[in-house]
Parts: sequence; C-alpha cells; structure tokens
Amino acid sequence: MPYGLIPGKVSQSIRNTVSRFNKVFGLLCLLVFFAGSASAEVPNAVPPKGDHDGKHVEQPIEFPHDIHARDNKINCMYCHTYARRNNVAGIPPTSKCMGCHTVIATDKPRIKKLTEYWVNKESPKWKKVHDLPDFVHFNHEKHLNRFIFNNEGMEVERADEVCAFCHGEVKEMTVARKVKPLTMGFCRQCHEDNNGPSDCWKCHK
Amino acid sequence: MSLENVLKNWSKYRKGHEEGGFHDYEHMWGMSIDLDKCTGCNACSVACYAENNIAVVGEEKFSKGQGMHWLRIERYWDEPDLGEDKINEYQIHGASFIPMNCQQCNAATCEPVCPVAATYHTPDGLNAQVYNRCIGSRYCSNNCPYRLRYFNFFSYYEDSWPEPLQMQLNPDISVRDKGVMEKCTFCVQRIRKAKDEAAREDRDVFDGDVKTACQQSCATQAIVFGDLMDKNSAVTKVWAKHEVALGKSSQNKANPDNRGYRVLEGLNTDPCVMFLERVREV
Repeated sequence: MPYGLIPGKVSQSIRNTVSRFNKVFGLLCLLVFFAGSASAEVPNAVPPKGDHDGKHVEQPIEFPHDIHARDNKINCMYCHTYARRNNVAGIPPTSKCMGCHTVIATDKPRIKKLTEYWVNKESPKWKKVHDLPDFVHFNHEKHLNRFIFNNEGMEVERADEVCAFCHGEVKEMTVARKVKPLTMGFCRQCHEDNNGPSDCWKCHK
Repeated sequence: MSLENVLKNWSKYRKGHEEGGFHDYEHMWGMSIDLDKCTGCNACSVACYAENNIAVVGEEKFSKGQGMHWLRIERYWDEPDLGEDKINEYQIHGASFIPMNCQQCNAATCEPVCPVAATYHTPDGLNAQVYNRCIGSRYCSNNCPYRLRYFNFFSYYEDSWPEPLQMQLNPDISVRDKGVMEKCTFCVQRIRKAKDEAAREDRDVFDGDVKTACQQSCATQAIVFGDLMDKNSAVTKVWAKHEVALGKSSQNKANPDNRGYRVLEGLNTDPCVMFLERVREV
C-alpha cells in the first residue's frame, strides 16, 4: 500500500493525473471524431479535393448562415428549395424569410432591414457567390439525387455535408464565401472518384 | 466523353458504317423531313434562332457568307433559265425547298479532323460540338460536305441582343463567343431535359417527349424527330416505310412509294436526317 502512506497528497496527484488524462483523452477523442467525420461521413461518396480563398462578397443584408444552419439546424433545402428539383438551387423569395421573421427576432437590425425590403415590395439584390462560367451547366438535382436521395445510408437531415462538397462549411460562415475552386479539374476529379458521367455534353452545351 | 475516352475508343466511334451504324448507343436521335410538305416558310429557321441563342449578324456580314443560321432553307428552281422575256427577277413557279440542319452523321467527316476533339460522338448518337474546347481551326467546317457548320468570326453577341433583348436568351445553352465553331445540336438541351424528366419519373424517354424547336414550329408538320433505336417511334416507322436505314448508302427507287433519301449518301457519312421527296425528271 505505498499510496496509503500519505493518502491525501498522493490521491491529489492521482486526481490531477486522471483529470489531465481525461482532458487529453477527451481532446484526442474529439480530434479522432472530427477527423473521422471529415473523411467518411457521407456514405458511398468521395468528396472532391481542393481549396480556394474566395473574397468576401458584400451582400445587401449580411445573411448569417451560421445562425440558421448551425445554431438552429435549418436544412439547406428549406430555403434553397429548388436544389432538389432543378438545375439551380435558388435564392428564397423574401416571403419565405418573412414567414419566420414577422415573429422571430424582429428587433434585430438585419431583420429591420429585411422588413423594410418587404414593406417596400422590393427584393434584396443578392450577389452570386458561386458563379460558374456561362458555358457550364451544373445540375443540382442530379447531384442531390446521387449523394442524398438515392444514396443508401444517407439521411436528408445531413444534406449540408453534401452541400459542403462544393460550397464548403457554409454553416460556419455568415455571408457565404467561395472556398472551393469549382474548376473543371475539381469537377472531373470528383466525377472520376464517384463514377460520374464523362460526356462533355452533360455539362457543356 | 473525355479526350482520353475519345482516343481509347476511337476505332469504335469511327466504325459505325460497316457495322450497321449502331454500337452500344443509349439512343440514336434521328429526323425525317418531308419535302413534299415543306412550304419553305422559314419558321423552323426562326425557331432555331430563338431556341439556340444564334446571333443575328446583319445583312452585310450575311452577304459575305457569315450567316449563323443553324437551319437554313435552301431553295432550288425547276428551270433555272427564265427564258427570253425576263419580266421577273425570279421564277414564279417551280421552287423547291430543302431545310438543311446538321445531318448528325454517324461517320461524321468533321470529327476525325478536329485537332482538339471538340467535336465527337455522344453516347446518344449525336455529333457534339463543345464550344469551350474549340480552338477555331475550322478544319471541321472545311471537311463537312454539307457546309452546315458556322464559325463565329466576330463577337456577335455584343450587338446581336441589344438591351433588353439579352433577356430572351435561352439559359440552357451557351452564348458563343468569337473564334468558336457551332452547328445544329438537335436541340440537345431539350433532349437532356426530357431525359432528366424521364429519370425523375424512373422510366424510359417516350416517343414525342423531345420536340426540336424546328419540329415544334413547322406549320405543315413536315419534321418528325425521335429515337431511331425505339422500334415504335414515329421516326423509325417513317424510316422503315421508305426503306431508309443507317448503314445503307443508296436507295431503291423502283417502288414509287419510296420517297426517302439522305443527302449525299454516297459519301458514306451515314447521316441521321432523312428527306422525303420523289426524285423527279424536270
């Protein structure tokens, strides 16, 4: 019983070690969890690779994606509703914003600005952040079908992880910023990894 | 098809004619144009301009042969000679018309000459032109026996759609810039849309799902468009009725009911557009 000799001190040191161990272990667990979640979250998919440092785009209202998508866990497709059935994901009409914001957070400056637009019957002139060249015809519907709706083991609630393939972690941003290169090489690499079509006339026409 | 695929499967794409035209195509889009119904009204050409963002070049450039009409109506006269007393500038009788759009040849002469594989055959039997790959060598145009490829000598888009006409542009198809070859695509954006819709409803593309702009606007319904691999499609029936088939290079004209032919068949280009007209003695 070596520890029994000076119980208080030793137990204190043990407690310290244990707590430190716990902290380190917890951090490790967290790291492993995040690493794991980053590499193999979406089933049957190899995420495209590449990064881009896009400039901040000035928008009429500084829309906080983080509050909506991260804190309140609103699905991307709630607002970008055309994504699942059309080429373009779409910007929601002001009426959709007002559906909630006639009652929620009406005292905040951004919402006051939004309400002003709504009362004046104007739409905010949102600027396009992820703008592809005009000769590229990207189809959101096909990609969502492949990675979410027709993808076994994938829940619709986690759609944002698929969106993040090309749009980055938008739920960590306020105003969306382009963080993926969205070049043809970026697209082709992903199409090769995920057995996407390779016919030129699928995207260029 | 990527460039790699084109290079790897080159012989496969080029061997259409000897093997009867078909490989493992998903579709084989084909057309039939009844020249006895055609009145030469040019509605198809206008519809094509509207659908495909074709630039209007103006009279001066048009007279230099720089017109961008993907579908042009060629006009021929039975008697080119107006006779002794030339009252009119043109004949009053005896005009015949032939709408000429890209013939979508299976053994296309434009494809092997492209130095950058900007023109190639798609898995649905279309002769594709990829604008952003095109470098403007114009070899394809020079090698096309029908002269149905059009080159953007200038940035026509700058004056072609003055404000607010740019709002009428079709968003499903690119606006071409200077230095790029273009041609009829069989309204590929409509084909893709029909295929997407079919995929959404988990079915095959039905006959009649795809209507090309020229077909839609044809006042006399002279144009029939469809999938030649679909045994029950209207276009297959017309082709079969007039004994025109992919891989054939001449027509038996002994039967007076057989009006079908393809333009310059003897060149073995194996086009997907068939015309209905009884060859007449003038």
